[in-house]
Amino acid sequence: MEITEKEQLKQQLKQQIIQFLNLTNVKPEDIKDDQPLFGEGLGLDSIDSIELIVLLSREYGITIQDPKEGRKVLVDINTMVDYIIQHRTK
Amino acid sequence: MFIHHNKCISPQQTFEKTDWEVLHESVENKLKAIEPSYEGIPPGVLRRMGKAVRMGVGCALPVLQGVQADGIIIGTANGGMEDCIKFLNQIIDYEEGMLTPGNFVQSTPNVIAAQLGLMTRNKRYNITHVHRGLAFENAMLDASMMLHENPQAVYLLGAVDEISAYNYNIDHLNGWYKKEPVKSRNLYSSITEGSLAGEGAVMFTVSNQETNAVAKVKGFDTLHTTNEHTVKEALAAFLKKHLHADEKPGIFFTGENGDNRMLKYYSAAESVFDEATTIARFKHMSGEFETASAMALWLACNLPDRLPAHCIKKEGAANSAGNIIIYNNYKGVQHAFICVQKPVNNKE
Repeated sequence: MEITEKEQLKQQLKQQIIQFLNLTNVKPEDIKDDQPLFGEGLGLDSIDSIELIVLLSREYGITIQDPKEGRKVLVDINTMVDYIIQHRTK
Repeated sequence: MFIHHNKCISPQQTFEKTDWEVLHESVENKLKAIEPSYEGIPPGVLRRMGKAVRMGVGCALPVLQGVQADGIIIGTANGGMEDCIKFLNQIIDYEEGMLTPGNFVQSTPNVIAAQLGLMTRNKRYNITHVHRGLAFENAMLDASMMLHENPQAVYLLGAVDEISAYNYNIDHLNGWYKKEPVKSRNLYSSITEGSLAGEGAVMFTVSNQETNAVAKVKGFDTLHTTNEHTVKEALAAFLKKHLHADEKPGIFFTGENGDNRMLKYYSAAESVFDEATTIARFKHMSGEFETASAMALWLACNLPDRLPAHCIKKEGAANSAGNIIIYNNYKGVQHAFICVQKPVNNKE
């Protein structure tokens, strides 16, 4: 995948996260690629992690069943996008 | 039962600074609530809340400030119906596959009371009454029974309902909302079936303590009937029970809603009163919804000395002081009377 495509995917994912999690006060440009999604970063919580897993399933056809794998994927935008590129089925 | 702290989110300017003279009009036959900025709710929690939950929690938090409530008692016909429908639609759209939890968690009627319990760390009595058009009155009955058992207690008593697309469409098809465009200022001169949709949240703290109370609920009663004569007889008996023979109610506050099928009930009820009593109405401010009577009670508690002209149907000799009788009916079946006394003679 070319860099521009990867950047487009990052942008798309940020918009989807804002939409799925109803982050009404957040704009895509507010989310840095290496900003932690949970805790001090974007401030997401455990319910949001389920919403993100549903997002990956619906939008990219990715099923995460192993919680350990989920913890590695749902770190920041970079880790999510890398995982999507490798595992997407749609 | 005495009412102390109270707040109201409604289609009118009632939450932060009440303006009785400016009437916010209906848009497309809906009177939508004017929502505040909800500064007391953390953004991370607020973003998950549907409108009903937002209004209920946002209205209750300032009421509970500095109060250790012995229980949270909420009346709502539908709770967060909009979120409920979103969740049900997901089941269809995604063929019963993986569903997001947010809408489900927020969609049950008891979410408002539950969220309040969580946010104020209140692990005491927590209940939600869902008796359609009498949901608030049943919550009030619960509160009065709890106060009878626990005379020193303080309870949060409230009501919430929202206009959801689903409920509006169903009730509109069923003839409960106007088919033709009607402005709220013209609601009572409309001679057709149906009313305007409304929504809102009202919260009170209630106790047996008279000191600093804004009003006293002297009594309330509910009945199910479709017969206007039964309503009239029940109201006469209600007045006899709660007022002395020489006491004249200052204001009779009715839930007349512009639906020509409901007029017979309100006319029968009005005929119980003589010239001394002012007949007033509130549905042009609230719109029609199941727990609108809670807003009538809030209005009764907060009426200015001189009633706003847009509320008055027939002016009597009295002003807002003294006894106010509220009568509301929902869909011509569920009827409720509330007798409110104000101002309360505070005993220091």
